[in-house]
Amino acid sequence: MLGSTYSLIAMGYTLVLGVLQMLNIAHGDVFMFGAFLGLTLAFLGMPLYWSLILAMLGAGIVSILIERFCFRPLRKAHFLGPLLSTIAFGILLQNVATQIWGSEPSRYPQTTEISQFQLGPILISSIHIIILATSLLLMIVIDQFVKRTRMGRAMRATSENQTNASLLGVDIFRVFTFTFFASGALAGVAGVLTALVYLQITPFIGIRQGLIGMVAMVIGGLGNLRGAMIGGIMLGVLEVMNDAYLTAGYRDMIIFGLFFLFLMFKPEGLFGATNRES
Amino acid sequence: MSVYLEGVLALMGINILMALSVYAILTTDQLSLGNAGFMAIGAYTSAYLTVKSGMPLLPAILVGALASSIIGLLIGIPALRLKGIYLVMATLGFGEVVRTFFMNFEPTGGAYGFRGPSGATLPLIYGWVLLSIFFFWLLTRSRLGRSLDAVRDDPEVASTVGLHVTLLKIGVFGFGAFIAGVAGALYAHYMFYIESNNFNFLVSAMAVLFVILGGMQTFWGAVVGAIIFSILPEALRFMKDWRLSLYGAVLVSMMIFRPSGILTRETVRDLGEWFGGMFRMTRS
Amino acid sequence: MLEVIEVSKNFGGLQALDHVKLHLEKNKIYGLIGPNGAGKTTLFNLITGLLPVSDGSIEFQGQELTSLPPHQITRLGIARTFQNIRLFPTMSVLENVLVAQNIHTQSGIPSLFQFKGQREKKLREEAEALLQQMGLWEKHRELSSSLAYGEQRRLEIARALALQPALLLLDEPAGGMNEAETEELLDRIQDIRNTGKTIFLIEHDMSVVMGICDYIYVLNFGKLIAQGTPEKIQANEAVIEAYLGREEA
Repeated sequence: MLGSTYSLIAMGYTLVLGVLQMLNIAHGDVFMFGAFLGLTLAFLGMPLYWSLILAMLGAGIVSILIERFCFRPLRKAHFLGPLLSTIAFGILLQNVATQIWGSEPSRYPQTTEISQFQLGPILISSIHIIILATSLLLMIVIDQFVKRTRMGRAMRATSENQTNASLLGVDIFRVFTFTFFASGALAGVAGVLTALVYLQITPFIGIRQGLIGMVAMVIGGLGNLRGAMIGGIMLGVLEVMNDAYLTAGYRDMIIFGLFFLFLMFKPEGLFGATNRES
Repeated sequence: MSVYLEGVLALMGINILMALSVYAILTTDQLSLGNAGFMAIGAYTSAYLTVKSGMPLLPAILVGALASSIIGLLIGIPALRLKGIYLVMATLGFGEVVRTFFMNFEPTGGAYGFRGPSGATLPLIYGWVLLSIFFFWLLTRSRLGRSLDAVRDDPEVASTVGLHVTLLKIGVFGFGAFIAGVAGALYAHYMFYIESNNFNFLVSAMAVLFVILGGMQTFWGAVVGAIIFSILPEALRFMKDWRLSLYGAVLVSMMIFRPSGILTRETVRDLGEWFGGMFRMTRS
Repeated sequence: MLEVIEVSKNFGGLQALDHVKLHLEKNKIYGLIGPNGAGKTTLFNLITGLLPVSDGSIEFQGQELTSLPPHQITRLGIARTFQNIRLFPTMSVLENVLVAQNIHTQSGIPSLFQFKGQREKKLREEAEALLQQMGLWEKHRELSSSLAYGEQRRLEIARALALQPALLLLDEPAGGMNEAETEELLDRIQDIRNTGKTIFLIEHDMSVVMGICDYIYVLNFGKLIAQGTPEKIQANEAVIEAYLGREEA
């Protein structure tokens, strides 16, 4: 059921990639930051839904920092400039997190009542329901937002052609900031939800989870929001199936193998890429 | 020399090799974010040969690097079709596939890692470093180097002046993989113990950052970048707890204020003139 | 020496070239003219292998070109310049010429050890001669991107000549040149032809085309609408209409 968190992360990647033509490698570390914010808030006794909202905001703000420090100064330079800068920023985030919370695993406190019940052969806990519900809600919100609101239209215009969008009166810098914020917010929520499941987190979980989100994005098609959603869920299902029939060790290898194969042979993903990367 | 200092220098030497492996592929405008995968292949192959088959160190390093370069050539072929971000992600994916492969591969220890390879000394490591630098120095003033520059500038036009662009682009993957393989082999035989997590994405990412921050226009940038950013965490020791965060902040700042890196082509040219003809680091 | 046989090229729905037939003989200067978008550069791209043909074939000195990659076509003896000047910007003037000489000699891994050798010396002498010829030797150490426009055009030609081609394709070599420069260019092209080469050039400047071409082909909307000597072409109704009609549209 972590599939839906992968979807959220993937959607974050794909938003930034689609609108700004940029791969934000630090996205996974924003996810990690969200998880830690949620953890800290939970320790302070805050109920779950508040943790989610505040972590979402916090992660969104961190993401805006990435926009300011990695994207804006370098977007005119070689197109890989921002990408490389996010590599550095990701390392910075990991180091800061290690500084604040330590590199040893931190336990997530039990603040929510967990009930479990059987659905056929599968054991479902209320946590899974919460994750699924929250993720679906956010997915629908973002999807409709991009489709129907003014900012959504502005984002789509910017993703097609920044110069034209700007000439048509779109404040592309506000679009940049908002896109990064939304992307980070999604990652932040995913972080808290993941922490709920794993119950312990380290400053380095962003690396793996971020990468899996990237895989989901590629499978869905770069820049394709709905594709990212489905891609994430598919990977979640794949994980569960793998653990059921094979040993857990092979799981990541299969996922990254798929990643590699998709890029080689089906780079447009299952649902078509909107990315104009040359 | 204290054990601590020796360790720092050893890792610095390996970092220089990893940075050069990234640079080698970058000469044709291809960015590889998965060289840790090549490093792993060299490490595990050579370690297996010395520990399980009793092969002496030097041949084992060569075989390990050769294995790595063969995989490199194989990766180079589909890489031809990928541009920009797609290539970056594909190499990233490759690195992860290799890492997770070795995490499961029982003959080399799987998740428990591989214990035993030894024999790498500081002179050996720096012998390889100097050899590599020498090769790149030769490359800069040779006809092959000129071909690579042309391919990087404009691959389509390069093909119209008779250059076999495909061969060159694949070839540098093999060359870069070879160097990374050597780095991996040396790493394994210095550390006495390796596990798959030693070759994760962060290793690939740092290698790339060494090159970018040092200056991606000449191979000296890769060398200087690796040296400076290997030493920096140690030099920042006085900062105690916050040194790693400061390190990260330095990396980000450098990208903002000097994205072309420490050594640009002009800087190298000027330094070269300063040192006289013998150190002419640029061509003609 | 060059036969373009019923060559067609389409990009999806767009028919760029339609059953074009050309015949080039040795040691002459041929012109290719036509309104913008007629398919002239596309034809050059097909000949040099940068694009595949959709139909038809191209033969050079008896050899079929249509299945060959660009670098092999170059090695057979065809060189070209580009309409929008494509030099190697991070390389010096001299290096741009030197790299074109790599096809004549060993330029693989062994070349790593030959940078001081005889071959290298000889290549540099030949490159210097070429650059002297083009009046660019004084600037041989400068970056190619720092040259003035006219100088860049001359460098492109020098680089093409360094390939020692039998057939030279020039894509709008007089583009952006004033009268004096154009006169000089005409002389240079004649000189090149007099060394035994065949030249095929695309041009909009009619003084160039009518001035030095022995034979002219005219394209419009991908079709060959006329061919002949300059006098014939100047009097040709279809050609006049193609150019004038275009202005009215």
